[in-house]
Amino acid sequence: MTILNEAGPPDILSPLHAVNGLAERLPGALVVVVGTRAEAHIAQSLPAAPAPDLPRSPRSTRVALVVLDPAEAPQQGRVATSVIEAAAGLRGTGFVLLVVGRSAQLLGVDADFEARLTSRRLDLPTAAVNPDAPYDAPGTLSTDLEDRALAALVGVCPKRRTSDLLETASPTQKRAHRFGGFLGRGRNETRSGRTRPVVLLGGLASPGAAGELAAELERAGVEVVGRVPATTMRELPSLGEGTVVAVVDPNLTAAARAAEERGARVVKTLTPVGVDGTARFIHDVTAEAGERANELARARSVWESLETLRNRVRGKRIFFAGDTGLEVPLARFLADAGAVVLEVGAPRLDRRALAEELQALGPDVDVVQSPDWRGQMARIDAARPDVVVVSPGLHVPLVARGHLCRSPQDFLGAGVYGYGGARRILELLVRTFERAEALDSVNL
Amino acid sequence: MRLLRGVYEGPGSHGILRVAASMRGVHAVLRALPGEGYFPALYGARERTGRAAPVTLSPVWEKPQDSWGPGDLTRDLSSVVRHHPEIEAVILARSEAALLSGEEAPAVALPEAGGRSPTLVTCDWEAPGVGEVEAANLALEGLVRAYSRGRSERSPSPTVNLFGPPVFGPGAAAEYAEAERLLALVGVEINARVPLGASVGDLSLLSQAWVNVLLYREVGESATLYLQDEFGTQRVTTPMVGAAGTGAALRTIGELCHLDPKRVQRAIWAELARTARLPWYARLGRPETFRERRVAIFGDFTYPLGLGYALSREVGLEVAACGTYLRHLERDFLFHAHTFTDQAFVEDDPEEVATRIEASDPDLVVGTHLEEGVADSLDIPFLPLCPPAYHSPFVEQPLMGYAGSSVLADALDKALSQPEEEPAAAELTAMPWTEEAREELAETPPFLRGRARRVAEERARELGSGEVTREIFLRSRR
Repeated sequence: MTILNEAGPPDILSPLHAVNGLAERLPGALVVVVGTRAEAHIAQSLPAAPAPDLPRSPRSTRVALVVLDPAEAPQQGRVATSVIEAAAGLRGTGFVLLVVGRSAQLLGVDADFEARLTSRRLDLPTAAVNPDAPYDAPGTLSTDLEDRALAALVGVCPKRRTSDLLETASPTQKRAHRFGGFLGRGRNETRSGRTRPVVLLGGLASPGAAGELAAELERAGVEVVGRVPATTMRELPSLGEGTVVAVVDPNLTAAARAAEERGARVVKTLTPVGVDGTARFIHDVTAEAGERANELARARSVWESLETLRNRVRGKRIFFAGDTGLEVPLARFLADAGAVVLEVGAPRLDRRALAEELQALGPDVDVVQSPDWRGQMARIDAARPDVVVVSPGLHVPLVARGHLCRSPQDFLGAGVYGYGGARRILELLVRTFERAEALDSVNL
Repeated sequence: MRLLRGVYEGPGSHGILRVAASMRGVHAVLRALPGEGYFPALYGARERTGRAAPVTLSPVWEKPQDSWGPGDLTRDLSSVVRHHPEIEAVILARSEAALLSGEEAPAVALPEAGGRSPTLVTCDWEAPGVGEVEAANLALEGLVRAYSRGRSERSPSPTVNLFGPPVFGPGAAAEYAEAERLLALVGVEINARVPLGASVGDLSLLSQAWVNVLLYREVGESATLYLQDEFGTQRVTTPMVGAAGTGAALRTIGELCHLDPKRVQRAIWAELARTARLPWYARLGRPETFRERRVAIFGDFTYPLGLGYALSREVGLEVAACGTYLRHLERDFLFHAHTFTDQAFVEDDPEEVATRIEASDPDLVVGTHLEEGVADSLDIPFLPLCPPAYHSPFVEQPLMGYAGSSVLADALDKALSQPEEEPAAAELTAMPWTEEAREELAETPPFLRGRARRVAEERARELGSGEVTREIFLRSRR
């Protein structure tokens, strides 16, 4: 594997595009974008999953826009007042997420103060996130706002009490789980207390797939006490010392750090994307939780069940332009499945967070850090890949040049995680090839 | 500071990028935060031309000293010129966050590429708070000023410059094409179409034209005023919407181009006979279809005014309200709108707009995509004929000119020909509301209020209640 830093301007979708998706997927959340007209325009114009066929009205009713006047610094507490006004028109609000970017801060908005004030007045958990705050590694991913929102949710999870720790340490004590079990089915009571509780962190865009992953972990013998995000705010799991946090996306570094700061053990392993990634993820998470799981047989059987699909993908040449950060694990899986990965673009490459992934990527894959979109287009034209997994700004231009393209958001929406996700990734690609072949056969 | 459910305009930088992306040989450098580069995605999705957006992000971030990544504006400008040797002009846009961070317009010369040195247009008038449309207008003026130096010889035969909408305008290309078709009928050639499809070379020849025709005054106003002051080129500003508006514009152009008025009139009559269907629709329709039908219109400037004239005079609808969100054009707008309605207004808060529309008690709403909700809540037809509109069809249709008047006739026919339903017997009696229920209703956003009221009253009837109580109202909202 070669990592080249192109130091170019990559094409990535603004992380603010995610506000509509967050409002829809975080149950009971009211997402308030505080900023100038610019932030309001981004939040309104870009749908949750942008594609060449934008829906007519992508705005969620659970998104409110507090638009600041650049000529006048807002008085302290005014943002909170507006948020309360926005919440008044909505029923069932259980969480308020303030998205306060750099413009608002430059205009003097104290995001934390406004969040505290909102929380006190509404008596609701409220968190402020800054979508423009820099990461340790340079660069931006389109999923950054989701990461920060998840970090905020980690902050409002109930804290794990010392008594919980004592219960975990004592195998003789049995207790009913506070929320009646994440999956809502009969829990092996003898297991409870024997292993450390596991919390699944991430999978906002693929809630179904994350649920399947939780089921796989339970099957492997660990207790998944909840997921962040949860189905409802009341189902957010206790999180703190003694909790094992299984992060489903290595790029969720802010959320993972928030969990670590609470004293939770964050498992550093492969992303549960693809067969081997999922097997390794389950193995490492269960090991951290105090259980031993052998996923080899399971992985082998999944690979066998995927053989027909693999045959359709084998030898296909794939180019990842880079947008969400999940391209690296996707490339790793597809290379394992027999595809030829020509290049993986990484608008931000946090080598510490992605160490396991980069190691597993294999020697034949080139990773381009901070890719220059113009250079990428030239390389794509030169290499003529079978399919390009492409960021939204390059999608239509590349299709116009005769390339077969899929959006990374398509993969996220299909549900990439777990063994089921491995099948869905391959099916998505096969569908793409089949449709292209069908269209190519039309005599125009 | 305001709590809004939507914005009609983007920031000034977005307007500059729209103008740049409309033209050939112009590339924009957007100085903005790393997460603000959303224009290429929007451009791809809305235009669907296959062309990559001519925009490069120069991110504002604290980059390490040894980094060669983008972020140094001078170097990024040079890089753009190197990577795009075909470009003739670079226009710099700064986002609101960049402006608030104190980003100044740089005084740098661009390097040579392909044997020539592109011009840098810096938009030093940019300030936080300048809206998309005003910025587009000023950016176009900047480009015109930069390139139309020195008076060219007037063209031997009559020619005009068309100043129309930039990219993302609904049916923008179709509007230019229709105007061009009509002008050809009266014997006028097109000198340049600006900004959509114009090259920098076209800008340098603008002074050859006899007349500047403003199809879309919002964006062409300053540039054409500059051309009028500098070269004496006269302007035609009549909105070419509806048959009467189109005819008036053509006659004025004919006059300014010294055309034979009879030839112009013959062309107009021929079009009225063959193409324009709005007058035909107005004559064919039953008077009852239009009598006492009230329309509320809201949008930018050209479209609501043009539609207001056409719907009130040519169709005979009552314009119950007509508004714009463009505060910088307030005086002009109110002056024109008051000629066909008493209820002209300027407002850029969608909630307030919804309240004004609701208060005008219309039978039809013509507006931007943000007015769909209020029409829906009032359960009346809605025509999204004013920008901004999300809909971007593959086949564009004009709303201007005679062909546009036929498009308008079709839209009205569909919207107004729906049979008026006899109100149900129960609805004939106004349902009383308790004071507590009224207070709850007042808490509902205005754009949802009409629907909420109807659903609550239906619920009360289902329950056999003689009034809407707070409990019934709350239950109806679940």
